[in-house]
Amino acid sequence: MEILRDYRVHLLALLVVAVCELIGRQTIWIITIYPMLYAMIIGGMISLPKLKILKEKNMHNASAVMIVTLMLLIAKLGVAVGPKINEILNAKMALIFQELGHFAGTILLGLPLAMMLGMGREAVGATYSVAREPNIAIVADKYGLDSPEGRGVMAMYVCGTLYGAIWMSILASIIARLDIIHPYALAMGAGVGSGSMMAASLAPISDLYPNMAGEIKAYATAANLMSSVLGIYIYILFSLPFASFLYNTFSRLRSKKSSQKAGDK
Amino acid sequence: MKILETIFLLILVAIIMAAGNTIGYNINFISSLQALAILVVISIVGFLISKLPILKKLPVILWVSVVAAFVSSPIFPGHEIVVQVTDQVSLLAICTPVLAYAGLAIGKDLALFKRISWRIIPVSLAVFSGTFIFAALIAQLTLHWEGII
Repeated sequence: MEILRDYRVHLLALLVVAVCELIGRQTIWIITIYPMLYAMIIGGMISLPKLKILKEKNMHNASAVMIVTLMLLIAKLGVAVGPKINEILNAKMALIFQELGHFAGTILLGLPLAMMLGMGREAVGATYSVAREPNIAIVADKYGLDSPEGRGVMAMYVCGTLYGAIWMSILASIIARLDIIHPYALAMGAGVGSGSMMAASLAPISDLYPNMAGEIKAYATAANLMSSVLGIYIYILFSLPFASFLYNTFSRLRSKKSSQKAGDK
Repeated sequence: MKILETIFLLILVAIIMAAGNTIGYNINFISSLQALAILVVISIVGFLISKLPILKKLPVILWVSVVAAFVSSPIFPGHEIVVQVTDQVSLLAICTPVLAYAGLAIGKDLALFKRISWRIIPVSLAVFSGTFIFAALIAQLTLHWEGII
C-alpha cells in the first residue's frame, strides 16, 4: 500500500490535471495542443531532480501509477470497439492489409537506422510502433518501463508528442503534392494510431483535394478505427516480437562480421 | 503489484480523471464518476483475468481491452448503457492524468534519456514517415486491386 499512501505524488497529479484542463486545448495556426501535453511538461518540470520536490522513490511510485492509469485508458478505447463490431467485420480487405503498412513501415525504416546510429535494445521499443499510449502499455507490461525497451518507447513517445503532428503534416503535404498516390490511400495512411498525428496529416491532403474531402475523411476514420482495433493485437503478437527478432538478427550479423574482420588480421 | 493496492489505485486515479473531465469538458462530476466507475470495473475484471493461471501469460491490457470490447458489443445485455454512460468521459480527459503521472516520473530518467538524446530524433522521423508511407502504399495497391480507385 506504499504507492497508494504517497499523497505527495497524487496531490501533485491532481493539481497538474486541474491546471491543465483549466487551460484547455489551444490552437496555434494548424497545430492543436492538448492539455495532456502541458500535463507532461509541467509534471516533468516538477520532477526535475534539481528542484528537489520529488524524491527518486516518489518518481518510481508515479511510474507505477502510470501503468495503472493505462488500464483505464485501454478500457475507454475498448468500449468504442463493441458498437462498431459489425462495420469492422464487414471492412474491406484494404483496411486490413494497410495495417501491415503501419507495422512494417515503422520497423523497416526505423530499426536499421536506429542500429546504425548505435542504439542498443532501446531501438526495439523505439521503432516497433509510433509509440502512442497503448504501445507504452504493451512495452511496460512486457519489459517494464525501467528496461532499455521501456526507455526507447518513452523517448519516442516524447518525440511524438513534441513534433509528431508537425512532421506528419509536412510529410503528408509533400507526398500528396507528388501526386503518385491516390488521395484515398493517403487518407488511409494518415489513420495511424494517434489522433493528433491523424488530424495533422489529414488537413493538407483534404486541402489539396477539396472535392473529395468527405471521402478522404471517411477513409481516414475507418483506417484509424482499424488501427485502434487490430493494432493492439498486431503490436502484441507481431510488431514487438518482430522488432526484437530483427534486432537480434542484425546484432548477430554485426558481431559475426566484426569477429571475421578480427580473424583476418 | 498487489491486487488490492491496484484496485485502490484504479479508484483513486478514476477520481482524478473525473475531476479533469468536469473541469475541462463541463460534464457534471457525478456523471463523470459513473462513467469512470464502469471503466474501473472493466479494468478490475481484466486485471483479475490476467492473474489467472495460464491466462497470465498474456498482458493485462489485452484482457482489459477484450473485456471492454465484449461489454460494449451487442452480445452483452447491458451494452447500450455501458456505451452511453462511458461516453460521458472524454478520451482526452483520461489521457491528461496518464501524462501527468508520466511527467512526474520523468526526473528519474533524465540522465538515461540524455544518453540517447540526439539519436532518437532522426529515428523518430523515420518511424513516423515509415508508418504513413508504407500504409499509404499498401492501401494504394489493395484499393487498386479491389477496383475502388
